[in-house]
Amino acid sequence: MNGFFMVVGLILCFLVLLVLYRVIFGPGVFNRIAAISAIGTKTLIILLIMGFLYNRVEMFVDISMVYALLNFIGCIAAAKYLEMEK
Amino acid sequence: MIFRREDIIVSTISRILVPFIQIYALYVIMHGHYSPGGGFQGGVILGASMVLLLLTRGYDEATGRVSENTITLLTSAGVLIYAGIGLLCLFFHGNYLDYGKLAALLHVNPAHARSLGILGIETGVGIAVMAVMYSIFLDISTGGVLPEDEEEQ
Repeated sequence: MNGFFMVVGLILCFLVLLVLYRVIFGPGVFNRIAAISAIGTKTLIILLIMGFLYNRVEMFVDISMVYALLNFIGCIAAAKYLEMEK
Repeated sequence: MIFRREDIIVSTISRILVPFIQIYALYVIMHGHYSPGGGFQGGVILGASMVLLLLTRGYDEATGRVSENTITLLTSAGVLIYAGIGLLCLFFHGNYLDYGKLAALLHVNPAHARSLGILGIETGVGIAVMAVMYSIFLDISTGGVLPEDEEEQ
C-alpha cells in the first residue's frame, strides 16, 4: 500500500511541475491565479500522502486543512486586488 | 481601501466559512501540545479569518465589528497576558515562565499547573499575533490613511 501512495505522490509532484509552467509563463493573471490554486490543492493531497507514508495522518490532516483555508483566502485576496486595479 | 461589493458567491461562502475557521484556530491553540500548532499558528489562522471578513465585507463593516482601537488594545493585552503569567511565576519564588510554581496559586499538582500555564501563554501569544496580523493588513490595505483622517483634510 505504501508503494501505491509513493507512486501517486510522485505523479502529483510531477503534475505540480507541469502546472508551474502555467504560473511562470502563463498569459494573463487569471491563468496564474488558477494555476496557483491548482498547485495548492495538489500540495494538500501530497501532504496527506506524506501523512500516510509516515503513519501520522492525524497530524498531517491538521496541516493540510490550514493549507486549504489559507489557499482559499489567498485566492480571494488576489482576486480582490485585481478587482481594485480596474 | 477595500469597499464592499455585492457578490453573492463570495459573501455567502465567507459567511459560512469564517466561524469554522475561528473554531479551528481555537482548536489549534488548545491542542498545541499534541499536534502541530500552538499560539502563533492559531493566532495566524484567527487573523486570517478576520482578514477574510475584511476582504469580503469591506472596511466599514469589518471595523464596525472590531474597531482599530480594540485591535490596538488586544495587541497589548496579548503581550500583557504573556508577560503577566511570566512575572507571576517570579512572585512564587520561581524563574520567569516557571509554570510549575503556579501550583500553589491554582491548587493543583505541578504537572497540571505547567499544562495550564503553557495554555495561558499560548492564549496570550494567539491574541497578540491575531491583533498584529489584522492591524498590519488594515494598515496596508488603507495605505495608512484612515477615513477619519481623509474627512479632516
